[in-house]
Amino acid sequence: MESIIKAEDVSYRYYGRIPAILDATFEIRKGERFALIGANGSGKSTLLQIMGGLIHPTSGKVFFSGEELSEEALRNKEFTKSFRRRLGYVFQDSEVQLFCPTVLDEMLYGPMQMGLSETAALERAGEIMEMLNIENLRDRPSYMLSGGEKKRVAIGSVLTVNPEVLLFDEPTNGLDPRTQCFLMELLVALSNAGKTIVIATHDLSLVDELHARVAVLSEAHRIEKTGSAEDILSDEELLLKVNLIHEHIHFHGQTAHSHLHSHYFFHKH
Amino acid sequence: MANKIPSFLTRELPSAPLPARRKVSRWGRGTLRASFIDKGLKHVAGVVNTGYSQWEAAAKEGPLQRLDARVKVFFFLFFIVIISLKKEVYAEVAISAFIFLLAAISRINLFRFYKRALFFGFIFGFLVALPASLSSITGGEIAVPLITFPKAYDFWIYHIPANIAITKEGLHVVTLLTLRVFNSISLSFLVFSTTLFPELIKALKALKVPDIFLMMLTLSYKYILIFARTIGEIHLAKKSRLIGEESSREGRNWIADRIAFIFRKTRLKCEDVFKAMVGRGYSGEIRLYGPGRLTVADRVSAVLFFIAGLLFLFI
Repeated sequence: MESIIKAEDVSYRYYGRIPAILDATFEIRKGERFALIGANGSGKSTLLQIMGGLIHPTSGKVFFSGEELSEEALRNKEFTKSFRRRLGYVFQDSEVQLFCPTVLDEMLYGPMQMGLSETAALERAGEIMEMLNIENLRDRPSYMLSGGEKKRVAIGSVLTVNPEVLLFDEPTNGLDPRTQCFLMELLVALSNAGKTIVIATHDLSLVDELHARVAVLSEAHRIEKTGSAEDILSDEELLLKVNLIHEHIHFHGQTAHSHLHSHYFFHKH
Repeated sequence: MANKIPSFLTRELPSAPLPARRKVSRWGRGTLRASFIDKGLKHVAGVVNTGYSQWEAAAKEGPLQRLDARVKVFFFLFFIVIISLKKEVYAEVAISAFIFLLAAISRINLFRFYKRALFFGFIFGFLVALPASLSSITGGEIAVPLITFPKAYDFWIYHIPANIAITKEGLHVVTLLTLRVFNSISLSFLVFSTTLFPELIKALKALKVPDIFLMMLTLSYKYILIFARTIGEIHLAKKSRLIGEESSREGRNWIADRIAFIFRKTRLKCEDVFKAMVGRGYSGEIRLYGPGRLTVADRVSAVLFFIAGLLFLFI
């Protein structure tokens, strides 16, 4: 399969000092499901923002479809236009992403910028809203939506552009189980539709259900291991090392009992 | 779900090839130019960076950093009084040299420190005081003649002399005022750059500043940083959804919407903070934890600063 995103020795330091990601090298192929997993503060979101061309690495290079995503390249109008059409980014905090007066305007923003006719844009918006079950919200402003609704609208606003690659930052964070389930099914459906899906998460069940290829980030901000979801999720030592599972003490009757624990491993949810 | 996927999402895109890496100049055709809104947002988001720089400088191992914040606040207030009392330019220059020496041994970034101090010194010192150099405000010996009218004019309470010029006394006044402002600003930057914010608050508490005021100051500082970060995220989110360029009208509409968003978020945050405070026992009275004991080094430094201040006062 053709490579769509490639990172070569990418490092990023906040304020030029605090390391967020160090020497990350990996490749994502077209149509692939790829997950960046790691504990809080390991650099997942930073790496995702670098892939999204929102920030630029302190050192190293990132390529999109064989073209380097440098600051200079993204100053080129045509390049940026094409890049933003082909790659969609869903932020962890949906609220910052929604800035149009109503939900319908959010859906129309991307297609109208692409130069689609109003009829075609409205058609797309309608189809996406139907898919996401948010037709009833079309005239509502974003601040009158619940967390789950905001997430659906944020995803919809990106999907109306029909990007080839979708980057999701902590997609299930703060969502109720029903919305999480909905989102999981949506990711699978989008993947089946040929989209490249990249997620940054610490939700191991999401990684498992997506059957994604996984890159594990350590708390030292380095990629510790890359492999299939099965490989990674069965490597307890690795998950313990990168703080994705922990030792858990609980009681069986009067006896305290301790073992490795994560909700994914023991409760499968 | 799969059945519901709209057909346009499953259609293969004509993978628009990204243009070959064509060199574009920063301002040439085909270049995306950052709007004033983008630049403004970046600057606001840069507040976080400034906060970090302050924290980093204050956490460095330097003689001023090691001093108790109360000694530094005392030094600051005492020297501000001295700077305001001195009427000789050479004394102000000597104080500038003293501040430079302290800044140098404190290992703070001197370039950044003086860039900010000179900028504010120029705006609030030099530019504000500049009219005082004119003969119409400060009379005296003419140094540089500027305009000559056929006769003097009297307008309301103002007297406009026939000859408007820069006077020697006026130049002295401008230099003195500029130096006073510059010294006061650099002194405040020096204390702020070498003191961690929580320590500064404790020092103000020791000076009997009311706790409620300190609490407001602490919360404001914290939330300025939080909102600057939110603004940074908003900027990135906009960037990710922007295909091509937008008109300045669209930009203005967007910024108006985002201002409303920040306002809403601020109000909600305010309610949350208040609820959290009530949840933790707040009942209208705030008591902050006070500072610890002064060490021998702190006391010696306080005495040395006092002596240095007296020397400047009497030279």
